[in-house]
Amino acid sequence: MLEIAVASGKGGVGKSTIASSIAIVLARKGVDLVVVDADADAPNLHLIFGIEEWHIEEPYGEAMVAEIIQEKCTRCGRCMEECPYGAIDLVNGQYVINKILCEGCLTCTLVCPVKGAIVRHKLVSGYIRETPTQYGFPLISARLEPGRPNTGKIVSEEKERARAKAKQDSVIVVDSAAGIGCQVVSSLAGANMSILVVEPTPASFSDLKRVYVLTRHFMQPAALVINKYDINEDFLPQIKSFASDNNLEILGMIPYDENLPISMAHMKPMIEMFPDSPASKELVKIAEKVYDIVVNWRKWYIEHRPKQPMPYKPQIIRPEDFKQQ
Amino acid sequence: MAVTGGKGGTGKSFVATNLAVLLAEYYSLVLADLDVEAPNDHILLGAGLSEEEPVDIMFPFIDYSKCIKCRACSNVCDTGAMLTSREGLPYIIPRLCSGCKSCYFVCPTRAIYMGRRIIGKTFKTNVNFNGSSFTLVTGMLNEGEEHTPPVVLRAKRRALSLDADLYLVDTSAGTSNTVATAMDKSMLVIAVTEPTPLGLHDLDLILHVADSMDIPEKWVVINKSGIGPEEKHQEIAEKHNAEIVARIPYSKDVIDSYVKGTPIAVANPHSEISSIFRQLAEMVREVIG
Repeated sequence: MLEIAVASGKGGVGKSTIASSIAIVLARKGVDLVVVDADADAPNLHLIFGIEEWHIEEPYGEAMVAEIIQEKCTRCGRCMEECPYGAIDLVNGQYVINKILCEGCLTCTLVCPVKGAIVRHKLVSGYIRETPTQYGFPLISARLEPGRPNTGKIVSEEKERARAKAKQDSVIVVDSAAGIGCQVVSSLAGANMSILVVEPTPASFSDLKRVYVLTRHFMQPAALVINKYDINEDFLPQIKSFASDNNLEILGMIPYDENLPISMAHMKPMIEMFPDSPASKELVKIAEKVYDIVVNWRKWYIEHRPKQPMPYKPQIIRPEDFKQQ
Repeated sequence: MAVTGGKGGTGKSFVATNLAVLLAEYYSLVLADLDVEAPNDHILLGAGLSEEEPVDIMFPFIDYSKCIKCRACSNVCDTGAMLTSREGLPYIIPRLCSGCKSCYFVCPTRAIYMGRRIIGKTFKTNVNFNGSSFTLVTGMLNEGEEHTPPVVLRAKRRALSLDADLYLVDTSAGTSNTVATAMDKSMLVIAVTEPTPLGLHDLDLILHVADSMDIPEKWVVINKSGIGPEEKHQEIAEKHNAEIVARIPYSKDVIDSYVKGTPIAVANPHSEISSIFRQLAEMVREVIG
């Protein structure tokens, strides 16, 4: 079993387009696949595959949210002082919990001097969905309730389900969220390799470097795809030298293509709807390289694994030092 | 006011930086880049980052001589960061700890002491264009850290601690409470979207968040207008009582300014897109006064 995560740091640079193309080409070549949409905040991969209905849709998680019982509240304000999320407001003399900001920890209930003045309720934090696709592989997707805490746990659960479905020689393709936070950490955790996507802009390059650090924390080999390479070719040398300095294989460079939004509007993958367009040809070429990597995994891994460990180190200040500050 | 969008890469920072530059002519303005996982406003503004301050959260230390192995700390730990051995001795996985202090408050023998853990940083930078200036406050999560809300909150509080007439917030992609924390108490939210089903899908979600937060004024900007159908965007906007206030065409000029670190409203003030931004800034002035 081989797990490939697609990540980029910056949003909208083409993760889902690239992940979906890789999945379709691997499936065409007979690879047994499970595809995971790990952007539970803004899940979009199903829209590229033209999926409108889910075979399975189950509630996931029991997030908690606190509520202040106004009749019992003595207006001492301890809860507002201690809430780590700024989720308690003083409105017209009453302390009120903002349900959207509350992460459901127990801090306010513990500091409240009145028994039963703050209670917690269970909430569904999201849903995990599954469906077969017309391309022969199943898609696992998640959807967090809008405004609920962003959690990597739902992504870990999706990946557990994917691993349970996968056979010994299956490939799992994980399309991660934008950013470098908990969902992305969960997307990369346990993956065998990452495919990082960048466009030739300073903003995307800055975010690429941040997500690259995460792949190094996991001692994971990574490869690079440069999307919309022709929108700013002056910037390419910087990206290429970053890639060669860090032993990142550049799998391909995709040109900007006006057909892409048309294929999205039809909810069809680009490489199916416009197979002859330059971007599609490059997408297929990239996916074929991924296929070669999968087939020759040991060799590729040995050549591309990071040589130096670069573990995550928490920056901790001891209580005695903290008091002195 | 806040600029958000749901889907990544729709142009949130592009809209926020251009509006900031234009509105700074009329208001003393603070722009808060609260996309702490991937902050880019300083890059789009060609500005360096200065006045760094660490973002620290509480981190529990345990005095094992006082611990009575009651497991109360691990029972209240919401994130699974506090584990106990078979004998009941607690230990902590730093990465998972959100610094909520529940363990500190629940411990019956006061065996837990408050240390700190640094999970990110904030910056404060002065930005100048054509004689008008504003302050950029940037939040940045450290690589490897998972808990974004404390960094968003700290950067937001740093921005609000500065004296200004107008606070303009640029949120991250997504629809979680990280985005909600950034938008909290905004009078006006501008959702930037694109004419694709993906943009549409996430526009619906983010407007849903704005609805549940009772944001009084909701606007939609369709960026990269012309690349696909937009009819359904109108329906979604109406469903949430939001107004489509601008359509920005896809243009090579945008990429040039984006790449060169000068907002298009400054770099190319006579372009069609700059005049769209000026109209949008005028609309903001009408609402805000």
